Amino acid sequence: MDDSTKRLLQRLIRRIPAQTLRTTLEKWGRLTAAQQRSMDFTQPKWALSEKLLAICEENGLTAKHITELEMTNVIDNPNQGMWYAFQLMDPEDDANSIELTQFKEQFKSHLRELVRPVSIKIKKHTDEAVWIRIAWGDSFSRPNHLKPTYVVHHLQTPYVFVTSLTSKQKPLLSQALVLSARYQAIKDANLSGRKLTAIRDLLMRKYQQVFPTMYPSPLGERNQVVSNPHIEKEQAEPAANRLQMACEAFGDGTLPQLQTVVYKLETKFRDHTNKTMTEREEPFSCVVKFASTNLLESLRHCASSGIASTPVTPLLSSILQKGRNYFVITDNGSGPSTQTRQPQT
Amino acid sequence: MALLKPFSKLPCLNTANILLVESEEQFQQSLADTLVEETAFTVNVRLAKSLPLPMENEESRPRIDLVVFIINLTSELSFQSAEVSLKNLDPGYFLGKVCFMVTNARNASVPTERLDAVRKLAASLHCPMLFAEDQTPDGVTNATERLLTILKVAAGFVPMATALYLSNLTRRTAPPDIEQPSFD
Repeated sequence: MDDSTKRLLQRLIRRIPAQTLRTTLEKWGRLTAAQQRSMDFTQPKWALSEKLLAICEENGLTAKHITELEMTNVIDNPNQGMWYAFQLMDPEDDANSIELTQFKEQFKSHLRELVRPVSIKIKKHTDEAVWIRIAWGDSFSRPNHLKPTYVVHHLQTPYVFVTSLTSKQKPLLSQALVLSARYQAIKDANLSGRKLTAIRDLLMRKYQQVFPTMYPSPLGERNQVVSNPHIEKEQAEPAANRLQMACEAFGDGTLPQLQTVVYKLETKFRDHTNKTMTEREEPFSCVVKFASTNLLESLRHCASSGIASTPVTPLLSSILQKGRNYFVITDNGSGPSTQTRQPQT
Repeated sequence: MALLKPFSKLPCLNTANILLVESEEQFQQSLADTLVEETAFTVNVRLAKSLPLPMENEESRPRIDLVVFIINLTSELSFQSAEVSLKNLDPGYFLGKVCFMVTNARNASVPTERLDAVRKLAASLHCPMLFAEDQTPDGVTNATERLLTILKVAAGFVPMATALYLSNLTRRTAPPDIEQPSFD
């Protein structure tokens, strides 16, 4: 094995979390049972890395096989690195009937036409997602396996999730995706985050949605059930209303673990006590960022406990409605639409 | 909005009614669960986030013997909400039927001005101020016992003692000014 492959393997072993190392190696399947047994997983990582290097040389494994291991690791631990969501626009007639083999061939041929040399690996995961690993090269160098791009696409949906893509590689990837998925354009969905599962669930609405209803079911079940007849809540109805509106804006049950939302304000400064700022012509640019371990859960709690006023402002509710977490707000009409949805009670 | 009045309804036999007002609605639940375990007399607990109370419950609400304002010192919102709620209480309550309960006083992030402000508020209204620890079951039990002591007097279960008399003994006095000259 040459030096670059050795380095690749060493870096990879460092990155794989210690708890999942054994199962990941088993899934990879390139080690014989005896070799797998001979690895002592209680040793420190550097010792394991050397052992694995020796085994790989014994088996004659190349960079191609190492990249398989990397891909297995990333598929099992998708919540690392920054993922960006994209949306494909304007489907052609046969966009909804694309099947896997057709997509694979088309994607590989289109991308190879645009970039040469390039190393592409496509794998279909059990939950209908197509994972693509791309190592980019150019006319002067071989594909760089140390900085691969990962793309996740769910067939028959217009959503694509990408990580580690440079601005030079972006138009190439976009063109290949658009042509192979049979759409006409691709745009940035303004949604990004560390956890792939969270942004995927958000965009594809895999959370429990609550719709405004005329006759809501008895909400006393959802509030804390006061089992004791001697305890009575005076303001149970307003609390139930707030909970209902919070759930309408943010969903019910477990929510996708979104972690940040960013609002970029380009509005004019409006404070009559400060003349120098209000007299300026250009808009006052300001960035507001909300961050939390589970942002949607926190916002829902703010709304249901009364800290945020209800009905929930469209600035917050459009995180879920539009599936984005980056908004640009200008003076006349913001990124999210200004019409409020009035729930019927 | 009608003010909550102390003597506009008839009392029930062997029953005491307590109203817990807390902006965050956390501590009041655990306090309520422990309060109703009292066996000597029936305790009815009403929970509210703020005053004024909704008009719809006016008919079914019993006579409230003691109003407790729970203030979480780590939150300015909690204090402000309690201040606003105070205005919606009939002045008759302030003769011994109001009590302040303060949590998280030992927390390092609490600014001293807030604790002083709560003290001044309690002193100006001639009400007792209790400190409580809400995170452990022991703390909740202790707070409940102290509240029950005041509640018994406020509901009239202790002979020869009235709420006004007790409040004279237990009310918060204003902290003395440092600049005041002392008399030798």
